[in-house]
Amino acid sequence: MSRSSQSTKLRESLYSLRLPARPMKYVFLHLLGQVAVDEKMQEIKILKDTKEAQRLIPLPTEKRQAALFLLKDKRYYQELSARNLILTKEAIRNAVNSDALIIQSISTIGELDQICNLLAKRLREWCGLYLPELSEKVTNHERFVELIITKTRVELQKEYAITETMGADLEQHHVQELVLLAKQIQQLYRLRQEQDRYLQKVMQEYCPNLLELAGATIGARLLELGKGLKRLALLPASTIQLLGAEKALFRHIKTGARVPKYGVLFQHPLIQGAAKDLKGKAARQLADKLSLCTRLDYFKGELKAGEYKKELEKRFG
Amino acid sequence: MSTKIKPHRVFGLYQDERGRMLCTKSILQGKTHFRERTIRAQKEEYREIDPTRSKLAAAVVKGATNIGIRQGDVVLYLGASHGYTISFVSDMVGKEGLIFGIDPAPRVMRDLVFLAEERKNIIPILADANHPEEYEKRICGADIVYQDIAQRNQAEIFVENCRLFLKKGGYGLLAVKARSIDPKKKSKQIFEEVRKKVEAELTVIDYRILEPLEKDHCMIIVKK
Repeated sequence: MSRSSQSTKLRESLYSLRLPARPMKYVFLHLLGQVAVDEKMQEIKILKDTKEAQRLIPLPTEKRQAALFLLKDKRYYQELSARNLILTKEAIRNAVNSDALIIQSISTIGELDQICNLLAKRLREWCGLYLPELSEKVTNHERFVELIITKTRVELQKEYAITETMGADLEQHHVQELVLLAKQIQQLYRLRQEQDRYLQKVMQEYCPNLLELAGATIGARLLELGKGLKRLALLPASTIQLLGAEKALFRHIKTGARVPKYGVLFQHPLIQGAAKDLKGKAARQLADKLSLCTRLDYFKGELKAGEYKKELEKRFG
Repeated sequence: MSTKIKPHRVFGLYQDERGRMLCTKSILQGKTHFRERTIRAQKEEYREIDPTRSKLAAAVVKGATNIGIRQGDVVLYLGASHGYTISFVSDMVGKEGLIFGIDPAPRVMRDLVFLAEERKNIIPILADANHPEEYEKRICGADIVYQDIAQRNQAEIFVENCRLFLKKGGYGLLAVKARSIDPKKKSKQIFEEVRKKVEAELTVIDYRILEPLEKDHCMIIVKK
């Protein structure tokens, strides 16, 4: 035997002593790529080419846990972080759908209503210094705001037959500020109308049945409370009936107070119009039909809301 | 502000001399995420934890001595939300550690991504803890499982996740919200039921009711 071959043999035996060659046996798919593990679950390797993976056996489920612990190694942390971050960002991007848009829109409408009311009341108070009688004669906020902008005090007095006013004679630059506020409020009212139109349009495409039977405001509120069309479609009709009445419902469960009959559905014209002793029944049946509508919409069924509406109107209208 | 800061008896936490405030040593100096108070002492920066906002801190204030979190740990955090508690856990495990923050809501995940971009040891994952198969392929085994989710089956979710991802000898922390399990029953009774369910598979080493800091909540600390 020559010296050189002896030394290679020696080296080989030493090598095998130090690092017993572990053939990879199992493979499983992870975010990091195709990951191979040996039989005794002691070594792990991320495979670079897919051909190698085809020769290996898929990892049995009971061994998956051990494999995940092999991945708990500082070598992989950075890669894990970077890849997960990309996936999560993409998932957030994909999570935006019509539900999210409708929910934002209906929330905006709700808040605009509050702000408009608040500011309109302030305007009435302010105007009380100048022409207090007008506030008594015009009860509609929107109309009141419009009058303040378009007409002077003398014109208003003539129009509403106010012969003598308690209001002070304010100088022009004081009145100017008042009109400025009124103009801003009018802008907000216009914004609200615009939002209404937008909501109608989005819902017409996304959930025509729900829109037809519930109307834009109530339909959108239901979507908001039900956290999206999918979940709303999966909810039982009895839950839909009580969406928005959570406080009363839990009070009932906790203290045995009276059961609430309706949540946001209370605003619906069918329930508003129903006789007092039929209101609960109307709410229940409306919720039934709404539940059907959401399912039709979610699974892209035909338009049936018109039929349901006629049916309910015949009974409670 | 210069106050003397000394280590708390819980590893990774610090307190001031009077033991009134709880804080962690920041791994990201000069940066706050939730307008929390910071204290400079001994050339380090400490961030104060509000125990009424974090159930982990509430458990410590209520006397939990061993919460199991060590430097360099891998934490699986279920119910990460905006990441208030997670930012302090991130301080506790340090730059060597890793935290998987899991939450199903896209809205709060947005905030968590911003946090993760600054704190590199946090990994945000948009997934539902009810379905471990959704994120099973995206994480690795963990030393700690922390769970704070308001679901009716929170005990089952916790046990399942511990079974799948917690190492042997690792710690699990479960914040129980009694009101989301049953709004009617007494909270103590619910805690006992949850404890029994958890005890079937894991060893309970600590149990703290978080009352006045957090209503109808308790923290169960387990070891696998």
